[in-house]
Amino acid sequence: MEQAPSRMPTIREALFVRFGASAFTVQETRDHITTLWVAPDVLRDVLRFAKNVVQQPFSMLYDLTAIDERANTRRNSLPPSDFTVVYHLLSFDRNEDLRLKVALAGERPSVGTITGLWPSADWYEREAWDLFGIDFAGHPNLRRILLPTTWQGHPLRKDYAARATEREPFSLPDDKWMAEEEALRFKPEEWGLKTGSGEEDYLFLNLGPQHLGTHGLLRVILQLDGEEVVNAVPDIGFHHRGAEKMAERQSWHTYIPYTDRIDYLGGAMNNLAYVLAVEKLAGIDVPDRAKVARVMIAELFRIESHLIFFGTMAQDMGSLSPLFYTFNDRERIFGIIEAICGGRMHPSWYRLGGIAHDLPRGWDGLVRDFLHYLPPRLKDYDQIVMRNAVFKKRTQGIGQYSTAEAIEWGVTGPGLRATGLAWDFRKKRPYSGYEMFEFDVPTATRGDCYDRAVVHLAEMRQSLRIIEQCVEHMPAGPYKSDHPLAVPPRKDRTLQDIETLITHFLSVSWGPVIPPGEAQASIEATKGNNGYYLISDGGALAYRCRIRTPSFAHMQMLPRLCRGAMVSDVLAILGSMDYVLADIDR
Amino acid sequence: MRTNNATAADLLHGSVIYGKLQELVAWGRKNSLWPFGFGLSCCFIEYAAALTSRHDIARFGQEVLRGTPREADVMIVAGTPFIKCATLIRRLYDQLLEPKWVISMGSCSNSGGMYDIYSVVQGVDKIIPVDVYVPGCPPRPEALMQGLLMLRDAVGNEKRPLSWVAGSQETIRAPKISMRDLKRDERRKATVLRSPDEV
Repeated sequence: MEQAPSRMPTIREALFVRFGASAFTVQETRDHITTLWVAPDVLRDVLRFAKNVVQQPFSMLYDLTAIDERANTRRNSLPPSDFTVVYHLLSFDRNEDLRLKVALAGERPSVGTITGLWPSADWYEREAWDLFGIDFAGHPNLRRILLPTTWQGHPLRKDYAARATEREPFSLPDDKWMAEEEALRFKPEEWGLKTGSGEEDYLFLNLGPQHLGTHGLLRVILQLDGEEVVNAVPDIGFHHRGAEKMAERQSWHTYIPYTDRIDYLGGAMNNLAYVLAVEKLAGIDVPDRAKVARVMIAELFRIESHLIFFGTMAQDMGSLSPLFYTFNDRERIFGIIEAICGGRMHPSWYRLGGIAHDLPRGWDGLVRDFLHYLPPRLKDYDQIVMRNAVFKKRTQGIGQYSTAEAIEWGVTGPGLRATGLAWDFRKKRPYSGYEMFEFDVPTATRGDCYDRAVVHLAEMRQSLRIIEQCVEHMPAGPYKSDHPLAVPPRKDRTLQDIETLITHFLSVSWGPVIPPGEAQASIEATKGNNGYYLISDGGALAYRCRIRTPSFAHMQMLPRLCRGAMVSDVLAILGSMDYVLADIDR
Repeated sequence: MRTNNATAADLLHGSVIYGKLQELVAWGRKNSLWPFGFGLSCCFIEYAAALTSRHDIARFGQEVLRGTPREADVMIVAGTPFIKCATLIRRLYDQLLEPKWVISMGSCSNSGGMYDIYSVVQGVDKIIPVDVYVPGCPPRPEALMQGLLMLRDAVGNEKRPLSWVAGSQETIRAPKISMRDLKRDERRKATVLRSPDEV
């Protein structure tokens, strides 16, 4: 198509003009994200250019991860690499992604840190060190983040055994117990923290890992000057279930239940990001009925997750009753989920190419009842929580951050919208048919704990609107694609000819063989942007599965929010952040 | 209800229980099991659901969630036992005062479940002794409550030394029962199953 000469250059053109085309190798991907291989020596300049110099910049470091390429035989014409570090940037102005890759060689790969460019790179680089053994030269504190400091090896390397049953059964003799406990001891000097202000000693308070206020296995070490927080150091990884490694030994189909358990309050909504990514890789189109049914279940789970957020946050602020109300509502949602999907928290209901089975007769009556039931309850929550004077005092002006800071730290979801930026993937990059729905994106202005609760409450109302449209306009037709890679494949034609029977048998026994390539799919999950970045080497298992979770980015911002606050504010900040430990540690 | 013509002997019979001291103590124990508020992962949400109004675990006297192991009798290991927190699980268990019991809630805690992976201990019983295993991923709140009731019965039938100077010092625990075996015959009777096509 002929373009006007005054149009803005694409990011690829801008980079080629600035650094020369020879500095890059272009890679075509199934998700059509601009993907460029960069030489390590210009990497930092390229990233700085993309973030600070180019018009409509790529201001968010959306994800940073690595790939062990040594076993991939289907790389074709890509630059030779043993380990690849992937930088995934997001531009809000362009509504566009940029993926930069740098190829590293050898058993001890090393690349320069970018923590000076994005503060949020800190944890991502530590994670890549922990799981791949990639050294980031110049990183301020490159230490393990997910695994214990006593751990040997880097589990996401291809030569590292995945299963616990492949090694000696776990035991905890007394000497090992003592050594492990000692390794957990917090040493302020390792984190560059002073033990006193010169006149007085600081108090180091260990909040968690076993603490009801942390909503799970999270440890936060607070450096205190009296009641005031000087600094906070989150220690994560107590909930690391190896979900990314798991994808390398489960078939594309049998990995779906593991995705439910990433954001375990989001249930089947987690499936969505994963199946969308696989469908991109395989080129599967999903029928409308499946799309709308997926949206309906996802929005029910959004309400369920937000209800728990709301109840637990109120509980953290000292009001116990809302939790009992919201859990009651949750049971009603689970009544619907169970009738439709057959499970409660982790129904694993989505399938590659559709959903597990058709909606049962009478489903719409259940959903309609709920649509009538919830709005008056939400009004009550507005009264008993949002207008509660104690709740307001404890949350307004606490844990405040601006839109610019949120972007700097990789914050997405309600935490970003509470600062005033109406960024929602459902609107900006509609997936699974969200473009067909009418709904608003609620925002707030101050970006404090109170505003995050406001946004959550408003989003529940919008989700109800979406669900109502699902009920009113549920399309008829098939609930699963006819594509040969859809799983489980349609049974009805298998007895007609032998070819279909063979395909069916292979797909059910081995699982589908997904064509080589890579694709990323992101959704607006309950807590922020959840994305699956999948690489296939043309096998029945994923070669690499990267899960970008919102909570990981959010938790990294905790020290910034806690400095100067009171100890009790820390609980307000944690409560308003809306995270789940499995979503942080995976 | 007290009637006017009841004799003193009748009244006495209605308000006095005869029994062994050991049984009285066991009866007291089984009716006041205080759980330790301890959650590892997804299962804890279903555990919390058991505490709230729909399921209302208070009906069984087990809603007194304690924030410290030193005040609790039963530890419900709700979730995945990670290698990184194995030391922590062991430490918290040690801090529970005797007599103490453990319920393992969910597949991860029972056996590692879906997570046969490098970072997960394949069953919390590799670290601490377990009294009741509740299956499920995660178990429904009802399943947890059944586990608690089973533990309650087991605690009521336990024989423990009453004094550290008198009598046997041995603890005789109730035999562990398998609900799968107990309910097999009943399950086999079911021939018509509800269709998934109806709500």
